[in-house]
Parts: sequence; C-alpha cells; structure tokens
Amino acid sequence: MSITYTHRHVLEDHITGFETRPNANHLSVFRRPAIAYVLAHAGHESDVDLALDMADGLSKRICGPAEWLAVSQEMTPDNLMRSLTSIAGAAVLDDSDGRVLMRLDGPHARKILAKCVAVDLHPDAFALDASAPMLIAHVSGNLARTAEDAFELIVQRSTAGTVFEEIKEMGREFALTAGFA
Amino acid sequence: MTSHRLSSGGLVNRAVPLRFTFDGKPLKGFAGDTLSSALLANGQMLMGRSFKYHRPRGPVTAGAAEPNALVTVGEGARSEPNARATVAELYDGMTAASQNRWPSLAYDIGSVNSLLSPFLSAGFYYKTFMWPASFWEKVYEPLIRRAAGLGRAVMEPDPDRYEKAWAHCDLLVIGAGPTGLMAALNAARAGLRVILADEDFQLGGQLLSETAMVGGLLAADFAAAIIAELASLANVTLMPRTTVFGWYDDMVFGAVEKVQKHVALPDPDLPVERVWRIVAKRALLATGAEERPLVFGGNDRPGILTAGAARTYLNRYGVGVGRKVAVFTNGGSGYRTAADLTAAGVEVTAIIDPRKDAGPGQADLAREGLRILSGASVTATRGRLGLTGLVAERSGHEEVIDCDALLMSGGWSPIVHLLCQRGAKPVWSEAHQAFLPPDVGSGFVAAGAAAGLDRLSACLRDGAEKAVALARNLGFAAYDADIPEVEGEYDPAFAPLWYVQGSKGKAFVDFQNDVTVADLSLSQREAFGHIEHTKRYTTAGMATDQGKLGNINTVGLVAGMRGVSPAVVGTTTFRPFYTPVSFGALAGTARAEQSRPTRRSPLHGWAARHGAIFVEAGLWHRSAWFPRLGEKTWREAVDREVLTVRENAGLCDVSTLGKIEIFGTQAAEFLNRVYSNAFLNLPIGKARYGLMLREDGIVFDDGTVSRLSENHYVMTTTTAYAAEVMAHLDYCAQVLFADLDVRFASTTDQWAQMSLAGPKARIILQRLVEDDLSDAAFPFLAARAITLKGGLAARLFRISFSGELAYELAVPAGYGEAVADHLMEAGREDGICAYGVEALNVLRIEKGHVTHSELDGRTTADDVGLGRMMAMQKPDFIGKRLSTRFGLTAADRLQMVGLKPVEPDAEIKAGAHILKENAKPSTTNDQGFVSSACYSPTLGRYIALALLKSGRERLGEKVLVWDRLRESEVLAEVCSPVFVDPDNLKLQA
Repeated sequence: MSITYTHRHVLEDHITGFETRPNANHLSVFRRPAIAYVLAHAGHESDVDLALDMADGLSKRICGPAEWLAVSQEMTPDNLMRSLTSIAGAAVLDDSDGRVLMRLDGPHARKILAKCVAVDLHPDAFALDASAPMLIAHVSGNLARTAEDAFELIVQRSTAGTVFEEIKEMGREFALTAGFA
Repeated sequence: MTSHRLSSGGLVNRAVPLRFTFDGKPLKGFAGDTLSSALLANGQMLMGRSFKYHRPRGPVTAGAAEPNALVTVGEGARSEPNARATVAELYDGMTAASQNRWPSLAYDIGSVNSLLSPFLSAGFYYKTFMWPASFWEKVYEPLIRRAAGLGRAVMEPDPDRYEKAWAHCDLLVIGAGPTGLMAALNAARAGLRVILADEDFQLGGQLLSETAMVGGLLAADFAAAIIAELASLANVTLMPRTTVFGWYDDMVFGAVEKVQKHVALPDPDLPVERVWRIVAKRALLATGAEERPLVFGGNDRPGILTAGAARTYLNRYGVGVGRKVAVFTNGGSGYRTAADLTAAGVEVTAIIDPRKDAGPGQADLAREGLRILSGASVTATRGRLGLTGLVAERSGHEEVIDCDALLMSGGWSPIVHLLCQRGAKPVWSEAHQAFLPPDVGSGFVAAGAAAGLDRLSACLRDGAEKAVALARNLGFAAYDADIPEVEGEYDPAFAPLWYVQGSKGKAFVDFQNDVTVADLSLSQREAFGHIEHTKRYTTAGMATDQGKLGNINTVGLVAGMRGVSPAVVGTTTFRPFYTPVSFGALAGTARAEQSRPTRRSPLHGWAARHGAIFVEAGLWHRSAWFPRLGEKTWREAVDREVLTVRENAGLCDVSTLGKIEIFGTQAAEFLNRVYSNAFLNLPIGKARYGLMLREDGIVFDDGTVSRLSENHYVMTTTTAYAAEVMAHLDYCAQVLFADLDVRFASTTDQWAQMSLAGPKARIILQRLVEDDLSDAAFPFLAARAITLKGGLAARLFRISFSGELAYELAVPAGYGEAVADHLMEAGREDGICAYGVEALNVLRIEKGHVTHSELDGRTTADDVGLGRMMAMQKPDFIGKRLSTRFGLTAADRLQMVGLKPVEPDAEIKAGAHILKENAKPSTTNDQGFVSSACYSPTLGRYIALALLKSGRERLGEKVLVWDRLRESEVLAEVCSPVFVDPDNLKLQA
C-alpha cells in the first residue's frame, strides 16, 4: 500500500482565499523553505560560523552564542541537512516544519515592525544582513534584514498564526497585503 | 450668549469654523481651538461642578494641569469621561457634556453639599461611617460615590483600535516650547536622531502665547520656522499630540499619542491612541513651568483663572476671558497679561499686588492710569455661577471691585515630574522660591523653565546649549549654537505668597478635590503632618490631575503652618503617569482573545474536524474531548473515549509536550546529572522515563529520553514545564557543567506527535508503517526512526501514559494532519476514536501515573511512589544532596495513595482534605488532600489519587474525605494508586 501525505502549511487557513494583489507593503509567506538549527560544539564555534558563511545556497541567522538558523529557499530540507551535517563540530537538527519564514518588505516595513519588535531597525543600527533573535509580536522569533527595506522573520510554527495576524493588523495603516510567496 | 472672541489676533483659523455641542447646546468654534477656548469664546465660563461640594467651576488653566474643566467628550461607546476641556482639540461635530451635576450644570441639587460643608471636612467619611462595618461597602460607599464624583465610564465595549509601538533615538526632547525647539534644532543640526514630543496638537509651547519678538519674528512665527526646518530633516521625528507620561529603567520613556482623538469618526485602519516606548540615549526635559494659583477666599468661582492661562486664551486663541478683568498677582506675569489685554482692547479694572513694590520694569507694563493696589490682597469674591466682583483689602480697608474675570498669579513652579519618577525628589531653592529638578545624571537633564529659568531669552539659550553639550557627550561634533535675539520679553520675577491673610469663605488649595486651607489645618491638628499623610488625609493632590496645580501651594501652606521652609516639608512622590492614560491605549491590541499569543498544535485542524472542544493550557489550545452526536455532557464523551482506548484504540494529540534534542559526546553524562535516575546505560533505540529534581530535592519535572544514536538524544517534558526545563538545562550546561560537551535545542514545533493507545494500537499502526512492529522487533520502550508506507520518515516511541499498549508517532508538523487522518482511517474498522486530554487524564489516574497535580513543587520522588527513580549510587545528580535531609525523609510525609469511596456512587473531588474516619471536620485534623480525582468508566466508580500522611502504610484504612468548600463528606478506603492492570500485562502486550 502506498500512501501520499499532503503537506499543509500552518498559515493555509489564514491566507488561502484571502489573497489580493500585493501592495507596496507586502508580507510574503514561504511555503516550503528549508530551515535547520545549527549548534557548534565547544571549540568549533568560529569554524562552524565560517562554514555557514561559506556554504552556498543558504543564509545564516544568529540565534545566540554558537547557535544559528540556516535558511534556504533553494534546497530541500533533506539536502540542507546533508550539506550541514558535514560541517565538523556542528550539531544540526531539521526545523523546516518547526518554523515559519515570512518576508515583510515595502517602504513602511520599519514602521510596521516598530509595532512588533522592540529592536532599533534604523539602517545605521540594523545593517543589511544583520539578524538577531527577538520577541516578535510577543513571541520569540528571529529577524533579519535581507534588503534595503526588506526583513525576514522566522517564528515557531505554533505561534505563526498569532504573529501573522498581528503583523497584518499593524500593517492596516499602510495597506499591507499578505500571501504565499 | 455674548461672544468673547476678538475680531482678530490669535492662531485660530477663523476661515475654518467648527460646530460642536456642549450639554446639547449647538456652538461654534474655529480650527485651532481647544474645547475650553471655544466655550470661553461663546461666553461659557461655567464648565463643571466640583467633586465634593458641587461648586460651579470654570477653567483655571489653558493646559494639561487643569483641575476643573473636566467634561465627557463623545457619545455612546466612544464617550471619554474626565477629558480636560483645556487640552481637548476641538473638531467639527464634537459633543461635550458637563459632569457631576443633576439636573443641569446651572441648577445642581448636589450643591446642597456646600451648605453641609461644616460637616464634610477632611476625614469626615472615615469618622462618620464607621459602623456597622458591613454598611460601608453596601450603603455608605455607593451613596458617597453617587454624590461625589467625576465622569462615568461607559459599559459598552470600546469600538476603537489602539496600538503600541517602539521608537529609538539619540535624543528625546520632551516639550516643544522655546527650550525644546532650540534643543531639537541644535541636536538635529549636529546629526543626532532626535524625537521631539509635545502633548499639544500644535508645537511651539509658550511661544504660541507670547507677544515678544524672537529673531526678528513674532514668537509664533519663529516657532513655525524652526518646526519647518525640523520637519525637513530625515533624522528628526516630530511627535505632536504625544504626552511623555513616564520615565522607566534603561532610559525607556512611555508616551501616548492621540492619533485620532480630534476626529468625529475615526478611520478604522488607524488607532485612536498609540502608546510609545521611546528608547533614548539621552533625554532633555523641556516641559516648562506651571503658574501657581493664589489661595484666597472664594478663589474657585468661574472666571478666576491664572494670568498665564488668560494670556494664552488671548494671544493663542483670540479670546478675552472677561469684559472687565481684575488681576491679583505677586509677580510680573499679572502685569504682562494686563498689558496684553489692554492692547487687545479688554478693560483691566485693577491690579492687586500684595507686594509693596512691583519688580523693576513690571509696573511699567501697565498702561497709564491703570489702578495698581500695592500691598493689597483679594480676600473674598462675589457671584454665583460666575464672578461678579471681588473684595480687595489693604491695611484693614476693604473695597469691592466689580469684575467678571480675575487673573491670579502666584509665581511659577518648574514641571519636574518626569525627572522625579525614578526615586529622586525635587530640590527646594530659596532663590527661586520653587522646587527645582534633581540631578539624575547626564542622561536626562532639565532645561529652560523646567530647570528654573524664567526669561524667554534664557530658555532659548539653555535649550540650545544643553543640546549641544549632550550631542558632544554622545560623540557628535556640534557647533556652538546661534541664539536668537529677543525683543519685548518681560521679567516674571515674583515674591511667594502662600496664604492670603484675612480670607473670607473657602480658600481652595486643590480645586479638583475641594481641599481648602482649613482641611490642611485640620490634618495638622489631627497628627497627619507629614506631607504624604496630609495628602492621604485631605486628598490634596489626588484624582485625575494629581495636584499639578495645587501640590506646591499645599507644601507652601503646610510649611507656613509648621513654621518651617518648604524644603523641610518636601513633596509627595511623583509616579507615572504624568497625565491620565486610557486603559485602551495601555492594552493596545491585547484585548479579548488577543490578550496573549496563542499556540496551535500541528494537529489542531485535525482535532477541530473531529469536533474537539479545546482547553487553554498555557498558551496552547489543547483538544480536551471530542463530543459526538447525542452526547450531552463532557463526561459522556470522556467516558466513551476512555472505554474505547481500553477496549480498542484511541488517537491523542501529544504534540504540545516539550521536545528537546540533545547532542554531544557527553550528552549521556549530562543527562545522568540532570535526572535522578541512571542514564549512562541507555541503549541506542530505547526510551527511558526520567525524573528531574530541583536542587532542593523536590521533583521538578518528568518525561522521557530516547537515545536515537550514539551522541543524539531527544527528551520530552510536560507541556506546562517545557520552557522551564529548557531554561534549567541551559543553566546546567552553561553554569554547572560548562565542561561537558553537550548542545541542545527545542524541537517541539517541528513534530506532530500523536499517541496511539489501546489493545488494537499495533494492528492499526502496522497498516501505516513499513517497519516490523511486532513485540519482538519493537518492544516496550523501543524508540527509533521509522518509515511510513509511502516513504515518509518518522519517529516512533513505544511509550504509554495510559497503561495500554501504546505508541507515540512523530512526523514533521506539516504532515501531522494527513498522517492522523490516515491513522483514523486505518483504525476505523477496529473502532478507533480521537481522545482528548480529559480522557488522557482519566486513563493516567486509573493507572496511577503522576502529573503536576502530584508533582506540585512540594513532593519528593518517594512521596509519589517513585523512590526507585533515585539512583543514589550515582556520584551526583541535581537534587541528590538535599534529598537526604531530614524533612524530606521523615516517615510521616504525605505519600501518594489511591482512594475509593466506600459507597459505590459517592464522588470525590480534587482539593478535598483527608481526615481520620471519626475526626471532627477541621483543618487541625488534616491528614492530606486529594490531588486528582475522576469518574473511572473502566471501574464504574469515582476514584482519586491523594497525598496522605504515611499513606503507603495505611492501605485498607477508611478515611473521611472532607470538602469544606463544596460541603461534602465522603468515607473512602485507602488503596494502591494503580487501579488498572497493576502487573502491566496490557502495557507489555
């Protein structure tokens, strides 16, 4: 007996049926990004850090001392795991289903995020490619600046509904739209 | 109604008329008006009734400190009580109503209180309504509250949106008057990120009321020019309508922005108010100074207001506060205002100055021929709903002077509140005759009038220079500031006058609470002399204005009564909020279901499709039971679910349990130290139950650990303690055992985890799993990666909380619903059902398993029958040392037992006390308590787990289960806590 299991995005019910044409300020939700949690064993911190920087096709997000998220929109979770487990001194766990990746971009992205996070996102204070763990809409998450006015957020799957709705609410003032990427 | 609006002058826009109503009466104002300036322009000086005596009152100020002119703005659910008319921005369609009067503002029955005033002095209520005690809550207080009061809150839900936001800057400038504007400009020019916040809807502060020329421009035009430059700079954020209300730790300031309080119908995409948390590297307090009222007999009649307020109404709003105006002043402010009024064509009848000589240049301001009564005082006033005259007294000679407005000026008090909110007290200055801001370090400094400066030119300079100093302090290269020339400024110097000798009638010191000089005197006589006691006894400085106007006079008067300096008396304590902030703004979006984040299990949708009723467990919403058609109570559903699991199989969502993945060559050693039982010898592919203790030997949490490979483990925790366990492990790894090679991370959200339990669990599961699940191939406590048919990688654990043959299947969260659906389908012919946490709870009570009902932070492993989990042969583990102390090993500790009611139908409820069979029902005879109880459908009776003194020695004994709260007494037999399958035959099947 062969069985096919349907993969379901946690925000399916929040998005499907509500899509509109994206406005200038838009929140995109990625359907199947590959996300892994990477920890460096003692003594390997800088090696793992460097290896993550050098790796192709993934982006590194800082989660704490010697802890990172590796994010890829090109690789499958399995391929990402394979490429990461080869890093010496790294402990890796697949978190592709445990986390939700969203991108907020547009001219008012910072103004919307100012209502969601306590961190200073001024270009001088939060440079391009910067990332940090922080509370996003009262739940723990990770925020990264990926372009001039674009930010990627990663939150735990169980809290994604709350965060998604809160960002949309905070974006009403700026006609924020949202949908799957 | 006569108009007091001047034909020209002021900053209101006469081209934009605004319609509004006051107590139902249609009136007109202009864009740029406040409610009070518009009311005054319409000749409506009477705006409210006082709190206690219901005395007619009009505005005393033109700003945030207003104690009297409190009104209700808006209608229905949008009603805002206690709005200060003096700062309420007028808009087209505004409806305002006066408060605390019946039947009308002009004829208020409650004003009979004024006649009773000899009996209503401070402390009257405390002394009078003492007995019977029960009457206070039910009779006296409701009566008093109805008679005395402010506005009423509406009971309808607030239809508007509120939100909260963060802002960050190098310099926060609080107040956009002359000092603040110069500070913001110079800091901005130096390149700082500047936030300029001001409570007013129009930036400019005192410059908007000023007649002097600044930098060759009218003061208001000078302000407009600076604001235009600031608005053009990318590094400046202007925040009008924003009151900075609090200074908190780490230079975080709280502020509330009135985003849409000036529109009749708010835009639903915008909040009406927004609370800001402003994180500032430096902050400058430029809040100016408050003009003190004078304390004389009848000083509260409508038409008596501060000179500065009259000046603002005149110069900013183009409104004359009266037709025939008298001035009672002890300083330059009264003379300046008299001069401005005269210039605008308003008649000034006399200036009464208690000083023998006005300051140099002050008297020169008055026009030729104006009567100046030096060395005189106002001792009484005349009029009922409005002022008609005053009594001036000089050397025993009294003179009645007709007037419809009296402007008073008792000097100036710097507005230092924010600087004093974190413990520092204002400092009395003899030279200034005022309390000055304390030194709280270089991060937050006061400037201008808030720092005690009195002249406009000095304020402009101080703001600029302090901003430049702060910029340099932050490492910015800042040029010395250009200070504009000021022409036509006046000298506001004053001599203090706390009390007017010979006053007749009530002399109010706190208008909002109707506190008089006599009340302050009473509190001194009755030993409430400390200023904090005086405040509580008399209520001076309480209520919505928190004594902004009256506090300094209170201090001055009490000092005078005690014959000491105000420095000795000191001030009361300044706390946030500076002015009232609505609960809506403080709540932001955190209302109703949004009051806290929600966590949803990956199987939430699956459970919902099966009709689950959810229960909140922390942030999680867990499926509690799954009622079917015809089941009327939760018990019917739960009983069915339990029996189905015991007879066939059930599927339960256990995704919410904490899951922590652990890596490292010394992970086994780490686990061996954090758990009380042994972990070094756990084989790969096996799970083990583990008990974690606190350092003090008490049980912390329980769960399982499975060894997936040599150096890779996955731990489960309880749902409730997932975060606490994670924090505990972090502490252990980083602080206690930093030398161990171990790393770990939470993986709770990655997995949809479902428990399949019941005698038919294996048959059903095997239909979906490629791997062999026979008892030989996958025995009890097996734990490993498996593959589902169709190729999906999963993890399977043969662990059980119900006592049945059970498996926990974990699949990546996104596949959870699909896998659960397929399992239900695969088990349909075998009678599978979905079961929730209520049935899970019954199953575990029947089996005698513990949860945090038993592991309640007081129990040891031995108490709950898990003494075998203490591997005392291990060199050490957390909790080992202290677990052997006397108190934790005493023979009479509460021990976990089972309870069965002697009467088969009797019910036991959790929380009941346990007594010896014939003991008198009393907690002095307490023998323990019921920790968990349920109806067991398997046994057909109620059962319970209990913690009972020396319980394990008492099996078979009959005890009384006494529930004082629910008034029941049930005789029960003490028994083993394992009610079902004590030999684990089902578990190991």
